[in-house]
Amino acid sequence: MSATDVQPATPGTREILVATLREETITWLFVVKSLLAFYVTGWLAMRLALPQPGTAMLTTVIVANRQTGMVLAKSFYRAIGTLVGALAGFLIVALFPQQRVLFLCALSLWVGMCAGGAALYRNFKAYAFVLAGYTAAIVALPVINDPLEVFNSAVWRLSEVLLGLAVSAAVSDLVFPSRIRDDLRRLCRAQFANFIDFVQRVMCGKVARADIENAHLRFVRDAVTVEDLRSSVIFEDPEARARSGHMLLFNQRFMATSTTLQTLHHLINRLKRKGHEAAANALIELYRPLAGALDAPIEAGGSARVLLPRLDGARHAIKQRKATLRAQMNSAYDMLDFDTGAALVDRFADELYAYVETASALQAPKLFGTAGERVRFERSNDFLGAGLTMLRTALTMGVLSLFWIISAWPSGASTMLLATVFAGLFAATPNPSQWVHHTSVGFFFGICASFLCQFFVLPLMDGFGLLVAGSAPFLMIGMAMMAWPVTARAGVGYCMGFTLTLAARNEMNYDVVFFWNDTLAQLAGLAAAGLAFALVPPAIGSLWLRRRQLERLRRQVRLAASAPLPGLHARFESVNHDLFGQIVAQTERGSEASRSLVAWTLSVHEVGRTLLELRNDMAGRPLPEEVREAIERCIDAIAQLYEDPDTATYTQARDALAAAMAMIEGDEAMSPLLNHLHVLRLAMLDEQSVLASYMQDQPSSQGVAHAT
Amino acid sequence: MPREIAIGGALVPGLLLWFLLAVALLLLFDWVVGRYGLYRYVWHPALLRLAFFVCIFGGLAWLTL
Repeated sequence: MSATDVQPATPGTREILVATLREETITWLFVVKSLLAFYVTGWLAMRLALPQPGTAMLTTVIVANRQTGMVLAKSFYRAIGTLVGALAGFLIVALFPQQRVLFLCALSLWVGMCAGGAALYRNFKAYAFVLAGYTAAIVALPVINDPLEVFNSAVWRLSEVLLGLAVSAAVSDLVFPSRIRDDLRRLCRAQFANFIDFVQRVMCGKVARADIENAHLRFVRDAVTVEDLRSSVIFEDPEARARSGHMLLFNQRFMATSTTLQTLHHLINRLKRKGHEAAANALIELYRPLAGALDAPIEAGGSARVLLPRLDGARHAIKQRKATLRAQMNSAYDMLDFDTGAALVDRFADELYAYVETASALQAPKLFGTAGERVRFERSNDFLGAGLTMLRTALTMGVLSLFWIISAWPSGASTMLLATVFAGLFAATPNPSQWVHHTSVGFFFGICASFLCQFFVLPLMDGFGLLVAGSAPFLMIGMAMMAWPVTARAGVGYCMGFTLTLAARNEMNYDVVFFWNDTLAQLAGLAAAGLAFALVPPAIGSLWLRRRQLERLRRQVRLAASAPLPGLHARFESVNHDLFGQIVAQTERGSEASRSLVAWTLSVHEVGRTLLELRNDMAGRPLPEEVREAIERCIDAIAQLYEDPDTATYTQARDALAAAMAMIEGDEAMSPLLNHLHVLRLAMLDEQSVLASYMQDQPSSQGVAHAT
Repeated sequence: MPREIAIGGALVPGLLLWFLLAVALLLLFDWVVGRYGLYRYVWHPALLRLAFFVCIFGGLAWLTL
């Protein structure tokens, strides 16, 4: 909008006020909800005479989130983690009640193992592991001088945490809930509309190659985001849970369709570059009906259903066109190119139809039957990275234990506790040093606020109502900070520090010396966690881990080449997307590393998918023994190439491919297999792909692959 | 409701056990209702869940007088 036409449209003061208020309402609604949960929990805990109402209140702070589904998901995993952790703490104390060295070793190991487990899973499941780790410490450490109390300690801890979780869940579900379901629905609608629009434009030839690759990046991110939201939404909404299977299938088909689109597009590009204009143009002509079919206005509600008959019509049109277009091919080689492309177009049309069908089933107000096909979104986990996390956490705990034993510091338990909590909580974040730093700053201010509140305000107050009145203003600052994205981490630290040191209970005791001793110990614990993160750098985001991830990505081709076929399709696509999403999140956009990564991913996607289809087709038909052997040798050689790319393996794969193709060429019954092999060969011979640097006539020191 | 229940000689607060049982029943109820789409006939599902939970929790405590 230019400056001139702003004048008449200047919003009145009232509108500005309303807009501001609407924005602020969300923040303050969050603050009010969190405060409500906080004090209801506190009141109940004091009424039930739990020894540490502060713990229950702290729980509400930790699970606080704007979105109901997030609160419920986090609560669910927190409850599981606490149960397991309380049991583990109880066991550790029961095993080594008199042996401080063994006791501390066992505890360190347990916490380390749980932190490692958390690093394996990056969503809320990680949280259950974290909790299992530090709950054991929380249960065991305070009773170290009095082991017989451990059972009570575990039971109290469990009661307090469960109380906090129940109240948080009820409040966030009842009082002005904000549902992820709506976000997810909006995201899926947008994803669908974007994708259909994109396919339509590609089919019309309106999109440049670089844009297609960028779009592919975006699709991958979308697929992972949808999966993340789906795993939280099932806690919030029973309807959404019933649709969960369809959601998975929808996402799965989305991934498959976008991969095939990529392959098809690359194929046509390659044909054009090699001067096979006739075949390329015929293929473009072949899929044109799809563009017409998709050129329908997509609106909210029932839009997907509109597309189904049109797509069906387009499939028929494609079938009819195929014969005439094929007749126009002059040479046998063009014929082969055309057949290969036509097989891909058919596959793409079928997958697109299946995708739209699932979308229309999801959009329908009532769902019929089950999703039919059961799919899982599998993720790719790095065990070495998790091992490093485990080592770091266990080491931190070990060093602190040693310090505690040697110095015989009375507040050592507090230090250990805080170090455990923070080392666990931040183990799975991308940049833990920064997290610890932000949180520590908030924590420090929280302690200061708690000091003011505890020694200047609360002594003048009496009764629960006045406790609320006296502490709410201090707490509100932290809650408001949590609601703003910039200060969210510091806000969590502030609230934790405040609640932890305030330690509200039925009979408050005001002991300045104890307060500062304990505070000092807690700050030392925080510092220890921060130091550990700085000294044993986190694997996530480092060059080393990225290289490992790239290797794992390449090994996906081996998976496609040799894993058992049932369910492999979903497994291959979801692991690929997850890995790709991880790598993308950890590289700078547009950097050299990112470009080479995208190139590798596309190549792995394409070749892996084709290998899968090839194996599928092979499994369904009788083959002469020597042909089967030749094709299997070729599949193996290609997997070998991706595992260990260099000139020798490249040559080997290319020769095996040529041999297999020569064997079945001219045999009409083998034409589907030949088409797959042809796609593979074109991919291998593409001088713009990542494999180009391994071709013999080029020195292998230059090219994209080197940048990895 | 017994204040404490002895499990293998260790005293566990009765409230905690009934709470856990009530939560388990709530999850089961939620799953069944969600599975058959019965929340469609309810004005405020979250309120229904809370009410159901309060009834079960209170009923369990009352029944084991």
